[in-house]
Amino acid sequence: MLYAFLLGMIMFAYSMVINRRVTALIRSFRLQSLFLALLTLAFAYKEGSLEIYIVALLLVVLKVIGIPNYLNRLSKKINIDESLGLFMNPLLSLVAALVFTFVSVLFGTVVLRNQDPITCISFITAMTTVFIGFFIMVFRAKAITQIIGLLTMENGIFLLAVAIAGGMPFFVEIAIFFDVFICVIITGIFLYRINRLFTHIEINRLTELRG
Amino acid sequence: MWFPDNIIFHLDLLAVFFLAVIAVVSIPALIYSYGYLKGTYSRLRVCMLTVGTLLFILAMAMVVCSANLLAFLFAWEIMSLVSYFLVVFDHEHQQSVEAGLIYLVMTHVGTAFLSVAFLMMYHYAGSFDFALVKSSLPAIPLAVKHLLFLFLLIGFGTKAGIVPLHIWLPYAHPQAPSHISSIMSGAMIKVAVYGFLRIVLGMLGVVSVWWGISILLLAAGTCFVGIMYALLERDIKKILAYSSVENMGIILLGIGTGMVLLSKQQFSLAAIAFAAGLFHLINHAVFKGLLFLGAGSVYKATGTREIEKLGGLIKRMPQTAVFFLVGALAISGMPLLNGFVSEWLIFQSLFSAAGALSAAYKIFFIFMMITLAITGGLAVACFTRVFGITFLAMPRSQRAAQASEVALSMKLAMGILAAGTLALGLYATQVWQVLIKVAEVIMGNNALSLNTGNIFVAGSVLPMPLIAGIFVAVLGLVYLLVRFAAGPAKVTKSPTWDCGYYGLSSRNEYTATAFSKPFRIAFSFFFLPQHRVEKLRDSYYHVSSLKYEVHTIHVFKQYFYEPIVKVIFLVAQRIKSFQMGSVHWYLGYILIVFIGVVIFVLVR
Amino acid sequence: METAFFIFQVIIMIVISPLVSGLMRKFKNSLRMRKGSPVLQPYYNLRKYFMKEEVVSEHASVILRITPYVVLASTVTAFLFVPVFHFSNFFQVTGGILALFFFLALGRFFLVLAGLDTGSAFGGMGSSREVFISSLAEPVAICAAAVVGLKSGALHLSAALNLTSTPVSVVIAAVALLLVVIAETSRIPVDNQETHLELTMIHEAMLLEYSGRSFALLELSAHSKQMLFFGVLASILWPLPVTAQSGLVIYFWSVVWFIGKIAVFACMVSVLEVMLAKMRLFRVVDFMGFAFLLSILALIMAGLGV
Repeated sequence: MLYAFLLGMIMFAYSMVINRRVTALIRSFRLQSLFLALLTLAFAYKEGSLEIYIVALLLVVLKVIGIPNYLNRLSKKINIDESLGLFMNPLLSLVAALVFTFVSVLFGTVVLRNQDPITCISFITAMTTVFIGFFIMVFRAKAITQIIGLLTMENGIFLLAVAIAGGMPFFVEIAIFFDVFICVIITGIFLYRINRLFTHIEINRLTELRG
Repeated sequence: MWFPDNIIFHLDLLAVFFLAVIAVVSIPALIYSYGYLKGTYSRLRVCMLTVGTLLFILAMAMVVCSANLLAFLFAWEIMSLVSYFLVVFDHEHQQSVEAGLIYLVMTHVGTAFLSVAFLMMYHYAGSFDFALVKSSLPAIPLAVKHLLFLFLLIGFGTKAGIVPLHIWLPYAHPQAPSHISSIMSGAMIKVAVYGFLRIVLGMLGVVSVWWGISILLLAAGTCFVGIMYALLERDIKKILAYSSVENMGIILLGIGTGMVLLSKQQFSLAAIAFAAGLFHLINHAVFKGLLFLGAGSVYKATGTREIEKLGGLIKRMPQTAVFFLVGALAISGMPLLNGFVSEWLIFQSLFSAAGALSAAYKIFFIFMMITLAITGGLAVACFTRVFGITFLAMPRSQRAAQASEVALSMKLAMGILAAGTLALGLYATQVWQVLIKVAEVIMGNNALSLNTGNIFVAGSVLPMPLIAGIFVAVLGLVYLLVRFAAGPAKVTKSPTWDCGYYGLSSRNEYTATAFSKPFRIAFSFFFLPQHRVEKLRDSYYHVSSLKYEVHTIHVFKQYFYEPIVKVIFLVAQRIKSFQMGSVHWYLGYILIVFIGVVIFVLVR
Repeated sequence: METAFFIFQVIIMIVISPLVSGLMRKFKNSLRMRKGSPVLQPYYNLRKYFMKEEVVSEHASVILRITPYVVLASTVTAFLFVPVFHFSNFFQVTGGILALFFFLALGRFFLVLAGLDTGSAFGGMGSSREVFISSLAEPVAICAAAVVGLKSGALHLSAALNLTSTPVSVVIAAVALLLVVIAETSRIPVDNQETHLELTMIHEAMLLEYSGRSFALLELSAHSKQMLFFGVLASILWPLPVTAQSGLVIYFWSVVWFIGKIAVFACMVSVLEVMLAKMRLFRVVDFMGFAFLLSILALIMAGLGV
């Protein structure tokens, strides 16, 4: 069961890499978050911890429903065209993602020797997700992808925490959720402003702002 | 762990002495500010400034009282930051903002060195507490001690204005409102000396004789450079700021001598040298405070700090003139006032060091005496120039001609400090006895071997009340003799002789620039003066107007700081090419670092 | 009794100081094959100035009026740090010779201010040059004094009297000090007392606005200052037959001996003055530089124990 959820997460991470359109990207993110939430539920069931249940619930509320909806609304509101503005075409991106996975595997085997396979695979998935989140932030032009990249990274880190450490302290978790939430809202507002000001949100065209 | 037993503050005699220095300067400055700020600033700003000043004074007191490296650093930083805001208080002047920037940069360079030194001490002691650090310091390797000394010297030296780290002082001190300048020059730079005494001498001790010698060499350079620039400057407050640099040099001459003597086991002579340095420290606080307040009064009355535009103020502001004269006499080391006593004591301790040590030291210490003598001579030149050009003869501008005496509170503040210079001079013996005790605190355990009786023989102060009495008696006697031998004076008033041109005006007067010209020429190797003459001719024979420009090159700025700044900018330009302006690149940098870290772990 | 002697000594010094100037002038004139003014001419001058009315510049302030008194009083006080024809000086403290220089500086400080006070360009010029030269002379003087102090063990002149023989370093220091004396008493290679040429005068330029009794007082201080410097030189160079005992007869002989020493110095300075030409202001730097070099030489020798 756990393996299936992990597989789902990593599949949707890959799908984010090959997505060409904003709505598709948001959908991939939503589904990845869903799998993460399911995974967390599974862990909660395994550990029998009430706190992790609550965290999973929050995950569903925020990342599966709240934020993707908000982003969808935002992208409609500012009328961006659908394309993400790729700096690297999907195929090459997929190759890069596979390289990341490979690095994660190497890293995982070095860091976690003699651990049970579920931890090991969780670790690999988490690292890959973090890398891919990063990758999306770097190689996609639209500002909205920066938000999604960041959230994806956060997903990876969350997974790392849940899978290896059995979740962070409850308050830290809550605080991180809050942080992410605020972060998304603020970036959203910024996006809106940037769009109003420059009539586009392609970050590579903001180069003239440098000192 | 950081604050064991919650001892953050404590007081000993040394701290009390410095608290007294701070109080002696700050209280008159606060009184002064009442009249000084009135009518110049809005009530809100006066309020802000007063709160800032109080905070500043409090921060200095906290530095002096702290018994913990962290508390010290914390208070030190508050002191620096608050004083920065006080410097840029007149932020509508471009100069203030620039001065503030230089000050901020320099003071933080200093703080950075201090922080590193403190962290090193923490590393070895495992605690920030003064007493614990002190007890664990003997175990530190020698090389580390030398490094600590260097860092602390740079850190405190920046604040104290040791050449070549003095660069901020002549910019920052004049730009602040005058009572703040008075506190900064009178008290804040002394706090740096306190830090040096407390942490270097109190904790590290004097490990090598070279420490003392390097302090002496720096002090000699500081004296000379400070007074030289003061002599050429035309801004009255800048002159005073440069002269502060010089006086810090004199104070350090005393302290450096003490350090050399301490490492040579000459304990009683060392105590005399330290006490002499401290005596000059409190004296400088008093008369420099006085002079800055006087300069502030001149500024308030005339609206200019340029001495070339002043003149004749002694007739329009007689009390201010008298107070300023007292300050000028004191700072030039003229007898009967306090500057004389302490300069004499420092001469004396340099000489006794020369007498007590071996041949090379003899020559070295006499050289220090010569430096001090040159400095003294130049100080006389500098302060006769300031007083003469500012207060005497005819006014050189309309505003100087229309000046009027300042408010009562300002005169009161100056009067208190002027009385202080006189009192410190006349009661030198009593002050000296206290200072010897303070010097014993500085010397710590070494003080146990002091022969206290011996000190008073070797370093006995001049019998100031007697000398003063004789001087005044002679003065009176001469007057009375002349009065009775030749009858009452027959005085005729007449204009100054003008070579028969019948039109002597302020344009005929000697200017400040002309006054310092012999020095500019004689020390041209140092000043590198440049001049340009521009003649507008009607015909070959008649020059209708003539423009004469002279300026000197500030060697330290030109050859020390500008190369540094240039290198920094060059590096910054290079680094700037990393700033692509694209968020993707920035994220890419992070990604690269991230992967790098992963690979690093893998390889390991 | 002691105190009475000291007071007496100071009074004698001041009273005979114009005489020394007069003698020097006479001697110089006879060297130049001139008849010259009477030896007592400085006294006649002083009496004349004292009796004359005083013209004070209306631009000047109170500084101009008080300066003559301050200058004379500081010079007189400085005498108390010199053992002239007595074994000890009045203030038996170490570092007395430094205090002497400080007191002379006090007089100079006021004189320089007085020069600036009238608003005349000459005064300012004189003041500027005076502080310039004295700030060059001061280090030499201090260095020479320190050398003597090193050899005699303390920084006061009565200690110098204890030296049984005169070491080489002290002699060199004394020569350096002699050059300082020439500069400080405005004598020829540095300044010229006998002229009022605008471009060259230094000391006289500061006094240009003075007249009447103020001028007399300043003249008297100049004479006394010269006497004081000769006294310092005398106690450094020929300290020998000064006695520790007191008593009127011995006192009388030491006075005579002192006057003899002074006369020798006066002659030396006069001869120098006749032989040399006045220097340009900026050549004075070289002159004082030479004096400085001498004093450094003396210092190194003293450091090596010679």
